Amino acid sequence: MTSNNHRFSGLAGSLLLAAGLVITAQASAAEDPVSAGKKIAFDRKKGNCLACHQIEGGTLAGNIAPPLLAMKHRFPDKAKLRAQIWDARKNNPRTIMPPFGPHRILSEKEIDLVTEFIHSL
Amino acid sequence: MRKIATLLLSAGLVAVSTQAVSGPKEDLEKFRTYFEQKFPGLQLDEFGNGVYALDASKRLQWEAMEEFPPYEEFVDKGREIWEKPFKNGKRFADCFGKDPSKVRVKYPRWDAERQQVVTLELAINDCRKKNGEKPFKWKKGPIAWLSAYLGYEARGQKIDVKIPNDPKALEAYEKGKHFFYAKRGQLNMACADCHVKYPGHFIRGNLLSPALGHVTHFPVFRAKWEKKSKSGDGLGTLHRRYGGCNKQVRARPFPAQSEQYRNLEFFHQYMSNGLTINAPGYRE
Amino acid sequence: MMKKSIVSIGLALLIAGCNATTPEKPMTLKEQYEAALARTQAAVKKAASVDGEWRDIRWKKSKKKYLPKAIEAAKAGDYEKALKLLKIAEFQAEMGYKQAMAEKDAGPHLYGL
Ligand code: HEC
Ligand code: HEC
Repeated sequence: MTSNNHRFSGLAGSLLLAAGLVITAQASAAEDPVSAGKKIAFDRKKGNCLACHQIEGGTLAGNIAPPLLAMKHRFPDKAKLRAQIWDARKNNPRTIMPPFGPHRILSEKEIDLVTEFIHSL
Repeated sequence: MRKIATLLLSAGLVAVSTQAVSGPKEDLEKFRTYFEQKFPGLQLDEFGNGVYALDASKRLQWEAMEEFPPYEEFVDKGREIWEKPFKNGKRFADCFGKDPSKVRVKYPRWDAERQQVVTLELAINDCRKKNGEKPFKWKKGPIAWLSAYLGYEARGQKIDVKIPNDPKALEAYEKGKHFFYAKRGQLNMACADCHVKYPGHFIRGNLLSPALGHVTHFPVFRAKWEKKSKSGDGLGTLHRRYGGCNKQVRARPFPAQSEQYRNLEFFHQYMSNGLTINAPGYRE
Repeated sequence: MMKKSIVSIGLALLIAGCNATTPEKPMTLKEQYEAALARTQAAVKKAASVDGEWRDIRWKKSKKKYLPKAIEAAKAGDYEKALKLLKIAEFQAEMGYKQAMAEKDAGPHLYGL
């Protein structure tokens, strides 16, 4: 009796787990990394990349920095692009571009997503 | 003999060049030259018009605004404050002298006795306290009205901040200068990033103004501040603006009239020496 | 001499004993909070002492105000939330200090003038 019970709850647990996986899979299908990254990049309180960069699909962009386009060409190596977004000071110690990673303006996960978006441009 | 001469000469050069990097006068020369080269052909006094010196379409709208300036009624209120006697029968003129047009150009100044920078606003409240009146609030309202009136009366005269050759005064100047060039806040930006390196560029929808000429039209009447105020009073002091520029880079602003901001103002106004006062001004 | 060394051996044993027992008695959340609060307050003071404080740690007009909100959460008994907020506040205070130190020699020479 008790062992049956255990088996039952174990089964219920894995069913629930499976259901949960399906749900999260669906959520991320609706929000692919590129569009999730775009939201973060355009959000004034998050990346606010448009303050300085022109980016396709963004309005009221600034012109302090080079427009972000043909990024696969500029950064064939995605890791290099991520490093630039994470801390622009590596390439230019006095840059005006905020140190998104070191100052935790964005989380690591958010920087991954923004990188996906920028790399898609 | 020749050797000695070159030695002496190079020693002299070293002395000159170290002086050149340290003195306020040399700082000012380099600062002005930098902006004149960045915006060739722009008259010196045009820098006092901020972004309107750089953008023709913005300038047209601004000139239309200045036809019927929204700050006028507050300048009038400032005049009333200037003229109205305190409860003890004295007036501001007893602190500042009879001629209201001779006040603005004296500030900010180094007060050797108090060993600190005294701004116009600080002097206004000192005068009130000395006469048994409650000090005004620092950033807007009556202090900005009076400051605007004194600026208005001084229109046409030139900014003329004096940095005496007193180690303490120089230290205050250096502190203000450091504040201006140091990155701060979570976004890691210095005043100089936006107002020295990138004036003439847009940050989002905002055109950035050059730091040269920044101070000539303060206190300023801002449309943004006007909207926030119930009475339509958009006037604010220089230190109110400093606070806004600090918090947008996510640094904690310092209180208006704190030592940090007074030192910053000392440096910031000195950099505009020789430019014509056109206070109060209108800005977005 | 003899007495002294016995005492110190005893003391050493006592310390070793204490050390051995700590992992069995983990800090309560409240204790962790109190330790984190003290650390954060010290870090904020240090950042402020060099004019390096960031906007959202405790400034009255900040919407985030991590430090006062952590104290509020602890008062309401939510130590986990309090600890989370303190972690951000402490990090920001440390970075603000570090930034101010790194910018100690900032001047016009860095901007080509
Ligand atoms: C305050 C202005 C500013 C903001 C905000 C900003 N950047 Fe930048 N960015 C710059 C500047 C200026 C450069 C040029 C290099 C330099 O000076 O560091 C740059 C360079 C770059 C580069 C390298 C471009 C190339 O072709 O080499 C990338 C990629 C980049 N930024 C991505 C971003 C992303 C993504 C964001 C938002 C998360 C962002 N930037 C936000 C100012 C900014
Ligand atoms: C992120 C960029 C940025 C930084 C950093 C910044 N400002 Fe500003 N500042 C602006 C913008 C945008 C405006 C409004 C447009 C303009 O007039 O430049 C402005 C306006 C001003 C004005 C008013 C100009 C006028 O004509 O009325 C002053 C004065 C000023 N800033 C001073 C400072 C000082 C001092 C600092 C450093 C404590 C600073 N700013 C830092 C972006 C910045």
